[in-house]
Order: sequence, then structure tokens, then C-alpha cells
Amino acid sequence: MNAIVPALSILLAVLSTSLPLGLPADATFILPFLIVTMVFVWRALRAELPAYAAMLFGLLADVTTGGPLGYWGLMALLAASAGGLARPLALQRNVYTLWLAWLPCVASLATFGWLLASLYFFRWIDHWPFIIAASASFALCPALLYGLRKLRSLGKLSRRVPDYGAPA
Amino acid sequence: MRRVRNYFGRSRSPASRDRGQLFVFGLYFLCVVLLVLSRINHSVILEARDRLADLAAPFFSAASAPVSELRHGIGRARDYTAMFGELDRLKAENEGLKTWEWRAKQLERKVGQLQALLHVVESTGLNYVSGNVIADARGPFTRSVLINLGRDQGMRVGYAVLSGEGLAGRIVDAGGALSRVLLLNDLNSRIPVLVGPAGARALVSGDNSAELRLEFVADGASLYGGDEVYTSGSDGVLPRGLRVGIVTGGAGAFKVRPDVEFSSLDAVSVLFFDSPALVSVDPPRAISPKPLSAVPTALNTDAEDIAPVSTATVNTSSEAGSQQ
Repeated sequence: MNAIVPALSILLAVLSTSLPLGLPADATFILPFLIVTMVFVWRALRAELPAYAAMLFGLLADVTTGGPLGYWGLMALLAASAGGLARPLALQRNVYTLWLAWLPCVASLATFGWLLASLYFFRWIDHWPFIIAASASFALCPALLYGLRKLRSLGKLSRRVPDYGAPA
Repeated sequence: MRRVRNYFGRSRSPASRDRGQLFVFGLYFLCVVLLVLSRINHSVILEARDRLADLAAPFFSAASAPVSELRHGIGRARDYTAMFGELDRLKAENEGLKTWEWRAKQLERKVGQLQALLHVVESTGLNYVSGNVIADARGPFTRSVLINLGRDQGMRVGYAVLSGEGLAGRIVDAGGALSRVLLLNDLNSRIPVLVGPAGARALVSGDNSAELRLEFVADGASLYGGDEVYTSGSDGVLPRGLRVGIVTGGAGAFKVRPDVEFSSLDAVSVLFFDSPALVSVDPPRAISPKPLSAVPTALNTDAEDIAPVSTATVNTSSEAGSQQ
């Protein structure tokens, strides 16, 4: 159960990226960035979401969005690592600390993503979709945190364990 | 040896922790390798993508149906609210079109006379098949959609995909039951075009934004805002004369506003335009169960051969281009 709920929620988010939602051109990054945010939040909340699972969901997002294979896999891996580092913050009951921690992470991820995309295509990619997606991800992070925490507690996934540092 | 506990409270030795870190590093490396293979369009990646897309086709089809219905519903509600204004606009447009109809008939007659005079050989018509967009794969880097037509319906890489308004894109991946259409505004899209009444040669490329870039305009060409842009057919992949959009912007920074509204793409038609250039774009694959022919099997008179596609319809028209 501790592993199924995070996996299922992220899988649903990944599959939603393939739906013909008719989002404007500048908003197409929002859904993939939500997946990355969910990976971060689940990892920070100490759910059983291994790094390889995060990468596989990222790769699936690459397939559903039709982007370069490995791009969202890499982004999800980075988010998983960041989420692992943010675990001590999740021990505190205050959601805002984790939310604030997501700010530098999402800013760095968006910058890295933009540079990687520009390198991949050998041209400067429009930066606005990245900015919009990062802003949306930051704005939606508290709602995701609240929702995923509720989901976690509903599934009786909560484990009161002391913090032993960030995992590998 | 000192043992540490992981976040689940399980005991973990430093050696296993090192192994874990090495494993994560391996995953990063794997992603980079995949990115490089993807960049060079390695056949393994392309095959894997095709297979995965084929596997996911039933899901895409089922999941996109309610979303499409919802979007139609929202669109219809919007139409109702703007109905009276739209009615006035249509009346005015209809008046203008009547004039154009009269002029078109005159020109058609004149062209017929001139063709008869010059003994022009009639060009063969283009066949097309219609289908639906079942998944929106417009991600950060791609502006593409998946349609419910694949190799079973005669699709090949390079075929032009049209909506009611004009050229939407071309097929870049064709699986058994569905194909991926690269939209005109995708970063990788390059279409040779003719611009304006003089037919100035240029190249239209996408940059993931709503408008298209107009590059490599022929020297000395005079372009004006509102000039029509249509395919030149000089790439040997797309037929000549498919509507692309109209010129916007000023000198030095010309753009093309596409006729097609990419965000609301739904029903599309695929033109069967086989040319020698297609062989280099879409060589027959060893795994392909059917030989690729100039006329797709789906269009043969034997109706039983047509693979069932939920909402796709096969049409043969000698004037498929006339819908442009």
C-alpha cells in the first residue's frame, strides 16, 4: 500500500499528459512539471517511491508527451533526489517549509531543463513555457502537499520513524 | 562496521548505501544515454516508441473520448453564447463568398478553355483517409498529436495531415493502429512554401509558439502582410498547394499565422501522396507485415481489407486538393 498509492497517483498524472486537453502552447510544460512536483512531494513525504520508479514514470512521460526519451526521466530523477534531501523538512508538521524548499528546487530544475532542451535542439528554446510551468508548479505545490498527505494518511501509510538522513 | 538506518527504519550498511548511490548514478547515466540515442534518432528508440504507442493506443482512444466530448460541449456552449454575433458575421461573409463563387466559376471556365487549348494532361487526384486525434502529445519539445490511423490503414511517414482549415502537419511515426503527427509549429518542422501571388520561395519552420517562422525568403521577393502561404512541393514529400497560413509581421521579421488552430485539432484527413522522396523518409521496414504500395491497401476496392477504425473514414476523391 505504501508503494502502490504514490505509484498510482503519479501514473495517473503521467497518463493525463497524453489527453487532448487543448492547452495553449505556453502551458504545455505544466502537466509534466506536476509529475516532477509529485515525485518530489512523495519522496519528501517518505513514501516508498524508489529512484528507479521515479525514472520509469519520467520515461513514460517522455513517451506520452513525445519528447526526447530520457528528458523527463532525468528531471524525475533529479526531483527524486531533491525530495530525498528534503525529507528532514517533511518531519516538521509545517507544510510551508517544504513548500519553500521546493522553490529553489523547481527554479533549478526549470533552468536545467531549459538548458538541456536548448542543448538537445542546438538552439535557444523559448523560456516562457518553463517559467510558466515552474510558477504553476510552485503555486500548486501546497495543494499537492495537502492532497498527497491526506492520501497517504487515508491509506494508513504514515510511518512515524526518526530521520536517519537522506537516503542514497 | 557501523550500520545506518534508512528512511523506513531498516538497517543499512555503508556498503549497501554506496551501492545505492552507485545505482542512482547509473540511472542518471542511463537517462543521458537515452537522450543521446534519442537525439541521433537511433532505430532502437524509434521502434520502442512505436511499440509503446501501439500498446497504449486502446488507452489513448478510450481516455480521449470523454475529454473530446467535454471540449466539444464547452465549444458548443461558447458558440451558443456568441451565436447572434456569429450569425451577422456569417451573413456578411456569405455575401462576400457569393461574389467569390461567381468569380471562381468564371476562372474555372477560363482555365478549362486554356487547358483544352494546350492539351494539358489532367493531374491524378489525391486519395485521403479521415481519422481523429486521440492523444495530445504536445510536450515541452514537441507539438505533435496521435491519430487513430496507422500502417494498417496505409499510413506512411511523410504523409500530409490536414484539418478543415489547411495543413496541420505530417506523419513522423506510423505504428500499426496509430500515427504521430508532427504539427507545423514543432521545433523540428520545416516546410518549403510559396508566398503570395508571385509565389516567392521560402521555408516555414516551427518554434513551438503559436506562429511559424518564415525563413530563407528568396532574394528580391516582396512580401506583404496577409499574403497567402502554401506548400511548394519542392521537398518531394508534400504535395504542392496545401494552405499553410498567412504572412504577418514586418520586413525582416516575417511570421506566418497558421490557418489551423492546433489547440483544437480534432478530425483530420491524411493525404496519400507517394513520391520517390518518401522512400528516403519512410523506407519499408523489415518488421512490416505488409509491403508498402503506392496505393494503400485500405483504399483497394475490397472492403474487407479495411482495418476497422472506430471513427475513421476512407475517402477517394479526385479533388482532394480542392478542399484546400
